[in-house]
Amino acid sequence: MSLSSYLDAHVLHIVPWVGAICTLGLYSVLYKENKIFRFFEHLFLGLATGYMIATTWNDVLLPKWWTPFHDEGKWWLAFALAAGALYYLIYSKKYNWMARMIIGLFLGASAGQQFQIFVNDVWPQIYKSFKPLVPHAAIAAASGHPAIKAVTTSDAINNIIFMVILLCVMSYFFFSFEQKNSFLKGTAKSGRWLMMFTFGAIFGSTIMARLALLIDRMDFLLNDFGSDAFGDNGPKIVLVGLLALTGLVLYLGLKKGGDDPGADVV
Amino acid sequence: MVKLLHTLQTVDRRVLYALLLLSVTLPFMPTFSNIKVPVKISPSTQKLYDTIESIPEDSFIIFGTDWSAGTRGENGAQTEALMRHVMKKKLRFAVLCFDPQAATLTQTMAEKLQKQYGYSEGENWCNWGYRVQEQLFFKALANNIVSTVKADTRGRAIETLPVMRGVTSAKDVKLLVNINPTNSYTYYIQYLQGPYHIPLVFAPTAVMAPEAFNYLDSGQIAGMLNGLTGAIEYEQILNVVGRATKDSNCLSAAHLLIIFLMIMGNIAMLLEKRAAKANAAMHLGGQV
Repeated sequence: MSLSSYLDAHVLHIVPWVGAICTLGLYSVLYKENKIFRFFEHLFLGLATGYMIATTWNDVLLPKWWTPFHDEGKWWLAFALAAGALYYLIYSKKYNWMARMIIGLFLGASAGQQFQIFVNDVWPQIYKSFKPLVPHAAIAAASGHPAIKAVTTSDAINNIIFMVILLCVMSYFFFSFEQKNSFLKGTAKSGRWLMMFTFGAIFGSTIMARLALLIDRMDFLLNDFGSDAFGDNGPKIVLVGLLALTGLVLYLGLKKGGDDPGADVV
Repeated sequence: MVKLLHTLQTVDRRVLYALLLLSVTLPFMPTFSNIKVPVKISPSTQKLYDTIESIPEDSFIIFGTDWSAGTRGENGAQTEALMRHVMKKKLRFAVLCFDPQAATLTQTMAEKLQKQYGYSEGENWCNWGYRVQEQLFFKALANNIVSTVKADTRGRAIETLPVMRGVTSAKDVKLLVNINPTNSYTYYIQYLQGPYHIPLVFAPTAVMAPEAFNYLDSGQIAGMLNGLTGAIEYEQILNVVGRATKDSNCLSAAHLLIIFLMIMGNIAMLLEKRAAKANAAMHLGGQV
């Protein structure tokens, strides 16, 4: 049996093994920086780049440019190649001025679109910031319009909190003049604290996101790889193996003592 | 006592990693997987569900997935949950990707789910594949979908696909779904949701979610799934057990461990400070 026919026949079993080896190789960095980790890191970077180049050709350039140009006789598409190639003249000391033409063209097009973008992106956020601060049910009832909703007391309190936060944060960004006024100083300081809360929320979410990625890998190792490689008891076997490996590495690492070898890396 | 407090403050990080590994792997075992941690549905998830529910059956929607293998842990679970709902609701959809890996990953997921919901590729859904330059693509797509997309990933002209019947421009699209680990969802807002008033629902990674709350509050995003938690909540609403539900106990266990370690670390720090202060006072008293 040739290698290619063997691979064809066993590809569904080989893939989980390769995935498991790659996962463990990458997680080896948690112990310390090492060559196995570096190898798999570069392998993944190379794979992702290669995949992107192949997909860009197959899904974009081939159907959108090469086939119409080469097979359907749309000769004017050759200008697209010339225009695209101008980008690369940025690397030439003598002709880099030509690259500015194509970069300028796209910058201009992008700048022109900013007007539309601004209106669609930011304007709704500005006018939705004007929230009713006084509870009212009578206005909504009298108007009879479904879009006008009654503002309850709790809605009004929420809106007041929203407005206070908005004004405090905005006051922090008054840089056009020196903030000498004690009231303005107070609101600006509050604004800074309120932004800190937001950054804290983002940081907390980051931890949750990273945990989700770890869980996904463990799900793969225990369930996908475990079941494929060892059958029904696979998840248990892989779990025991994983914990034994971790315990051994930990024991050897702690026994060796000294400084935490990868503390400055991770 | 001081030694114990000092030890708690200087635990080797590899011990913490080992504890984390234990906390995310044990809940996969049958003994622990039967434990059901109650999930509270957040308003943003409920809004997303209600938005999809409000779309009439057989409407055409764009199912945008812009994630790669790197964020599969969150975006994969969200894609599966949302696709289940779309298929359950019998909506026609086209997969659109601005990430090279997303087209293949979403295709695999759709092929796996289609049997369960009686869907077939070309008839009820299609894959427009990987596209580049969101701005120019959306500009062109809004006016003429057929001439902009031309063919699906299998090379079939999209105007020949039953799933595309009656769909010519953005006005025929009833909903935009975007599952995205970056902030490029704003292109959907700028070029489709804003000008054509097509509702947009969004599923970001947990890192990106805080930034998107502005858009949710202004109504530019009609509903949002916040990371893996959002996917877990969504499966709960749909009453299905998918990959997110399977992961929920692991996430809860890992969160409990981190909260426990934070509390222990802070208690140790405070007690150590107090002990140091008491020592210093005693030392000073001795000198006097």
